[in-house]
Amino acid sequence: MKRVTFGWSFFVTLCLVIFMSVPVWGRTIKIGVIGPMNFVQGKGHWNGAIMAAEEINARGGVQVGKEKMNIELVKADSNEFLSMTDATNAMERLMTQDKVDFVVGGFRTEAVLPMQDIAMDYKKIFIGCGAATKSICDRVAENYSRYKYWFRGTPFNERYLVATSFAHLGLAGATIKKELNVPVKCAIVGEKATWVEGMIKAAEATIPKMGFELVGVWRPSAVATDVTAELSAIQKSGANLIFTIFSSSVGITFARQAGELKIPAAQVGINVEAQKDGFWEATKGMGNYVFTMNTYARGIEVNEMTKPFVETYIKRFGEVPTYTADTYSAISYGLVPSIEAVGSLDADKIVAHMENREYMVPSGKVKYQKDAQGRPTHDLTWGPGYLTSLGVQWQDGKLVAVWPNKWKASPTAPEVTYKGMVPLKLPPWMKK
Amino acid sequence: MVAAGLYLKRFYTVVRGEVLVLPSRVIVALFFLVLLGMPLISQNPYLIRVIVLTSIFAILAASWDLLSGFTGQMNFGHALFFGVGAYASAMLNVHLHIPPWGSVPLGAAAAVLTGLIVGIPCLRLKHTYLALTTMAFPIILMGIVFALPDITGGELGISGLQRISNSLIVNYYVYVGIMLVLCTIMWKITDSHTGIIFHAIREDELAVKASGINTTRYKLMAFCLSGFFAGIAGGLYAHYMRIAGPSTLEVSMSFTVVIWAVFGGIATIYGPVAAVFILFPLLEFVRFWPEYRMLIFAVVVLLILLYMPEGLIPWVRDKIEKECPRCKIRNVATRKTCRICTAVLD
Repeated sequence: MKRVTFGWSFFVTLCLVIFMSVPVWGRTIKIGVIGPMNFVQGKGHWNGAIMAAEEINARGGVQVGKEKMNIELVKADSNEFLSMTDATNAMERLMTQDKVDFVVGGFRTEAVLPMQDIAMDYKKIFIGCGAATKSICDRVAENYSRYKYWFRGTPFNERYLVATSFAHLGLAGATIKKELNVPVKCAIVGEKATWVEGMIKAAEATIPKMGFELVGVWRPSAVATDVTAELSAIQKSGANLIFTIFSSSVGITFARQAGELKIPAAQVGINVEAQKDGFWEATKGMGNYVFTMNTYARGIEVNEMTKPFVETYIKRFGEVPTYTADTYSAISYGLVPSIEAVGSLDADKIVAHMENREYMVPSGKVKYQKDAQGRPTHDLTWGPGYLTSLGVQWQDGKLVAVWPNKWKASPTAPEVTYKGMVPLKLPPWMKK
Repeated sequence: MVAAGLYLKRFYTVVRGEVLVLPSRVIVALFFLVLLGMPLISQNPYLIRVIVLTSIFAILAASWDLLSGFTGQMNFGHALFFGVGAYASAMLNVHLHIPPWGSVPLGAAAAVLTGLIVGIPCLRLKHTYLALTTMAFPIILMGIVFALPDITGGELGISGLQRISNSLIVNYYVYVGIMLVLCTIMWKITDSHTGIIFHAIREDELAVKASGINTTRYKLMAFCLSGFFAGIAGGLYAHYMRIAGPSTLEVSMSFTVVIWAVFGGIATIYGPVAAVFILFPLLEFVRFWPEYRMLIFAVVVLLILLYMPEGLIPWVRDKIEKECPRCKIRNVATRKTCRICTAVLD
């Protein structure tokens, strides 16, 4: 009896092992998702990648030549906000231990640069989904044979971020002139952080050229809990437009106190806190009429892919996707179609195919750029018909999109309006 | 042939008489052997990367111990020397095209100069005041880095540095070899006449002064020596990572060094080295549980410091070895009498 029991147990165990091993027999495409996984940016990377992998695997996987392959994601915590060495070790681990075929993610430029070097050492395609620094893509043009495996997935580079902000300022300025019939007086308020320096310099040079009067620059701490002094000074200066450049908690403080004091000026620019669903609650409704740049918004259709992506994401993760969730686009519309087109996982063949493609993603159309000398940079094209991002405004508890709404990049450029746009509203207390 | 035989016999006698008599020496010998022989067992690039980075940080932690552990000059801004070494090497390599063999020592020289610049005003300060003042220096340097983006690369740092070698194994032996040599030199310094004076300054500076020793000179020397070794670590780090960025100057870098040194046991040199070789790979090992990595790290450090306040390595050493009450020579813990003077061991 004992022998029979042992024999049966052995047989059942063997069957179980074989059954559980079946998926291992089929080759999978391993995609490393690297990012600061304990922070909102890394969570966006991972959520976007999960959505892409689940959708692709549900429809049977990726057709690679004659073979169907499923996507297998490998999560790598770069911890790049706290440790550069952690970030590079995570990338090395993806390359040598997990042996991934492709990588998406990365956020902080100082970490992305060495991570890019590691991926290039192993000739693996790395699609960056976070760092906006232009120099990362300049490397592709300068040393194509080494850096050609790098592509920017999101966002468009810093120069275009600045250009978009000025387009937003232009819209707000025009609205002030039209509705109030007064000259535009603009104040710049940027948190004390290095990334703001360049934007302030550019704004100081550009705002007078836009026909606005520049009344001053204010630099509160990135974590300030009281900005009433700055707000009083801005009010005294006569500003009716405030160009905000905030990525930290001061964005909440500034919006809340400006709302409480009813500062008669429109806040336009970058306010990362205002991009989040919790902003209305955090400012107790005082952040009404705050305008910021964003990638996605509820109810906006940049193209036919936007709504399904945003709605599925909200349903799955309970929030509007941030731009780092564009790992979804990088995998679903960047990598996979190119793999299927070349019928191979050969990085060189995929690069050659990808860099010449133009394809739609939920936030617009991707086209990889070439520099002035015609060298590929694998940077994203910005502008009408391509990627533009959105300008969103809080209007009575709802984050609605107000830009691009009949926007023309130049007098001869085509007009751009996305479905679901509403007009920009000025705070009613500006009209008194 | 006969001469070789004689040398071998002498080597065996030395090993038997000097190394095998104490467990701590056996452990150190094994540490050297394992590190030098590791590529013969595995050439896994990830493993090699972890050991190389561990070696760089071991130099940094030992250099902190040389200054703060031995001389008692509590430095909470050790990232300054590391960052200066990294940035100077990077600038020399990228802007002036000086190869790593020149840029790393010159970067270390810049860190020595920084040690002097920092050391002179800090001579007037002691204890908490000194610790807080030193903490400010890397922050000041970071401000300078951001103020001169054309030279320092600003927020992005200086990237595209030349590698020391393109071969994985050559790189490994260069970094590990430099670590073993530099840490041995630091240990020999602390064991020398100068080291004894460093020690004495920490215990009772007034008594050292009363003995006619110029403590100012020795304290400055400690700042410069520590700066030199930390600068070498910074230069090596920059060339390995191929970037020197503001993260090399971050406050967290300074505090991590202190945690390593305290965990391993201060005023030992080998303690901080061992601590880095335990804690840095531990953080990599717990990657399977990413959400709790830092928590596990913190719990391990807290438990060790709670139960072993002198640090892990002195605690282990006290368990496996005993000091002779008469001649102060260390003996293996299982011995009943001293191996030198035969006095009874407690």
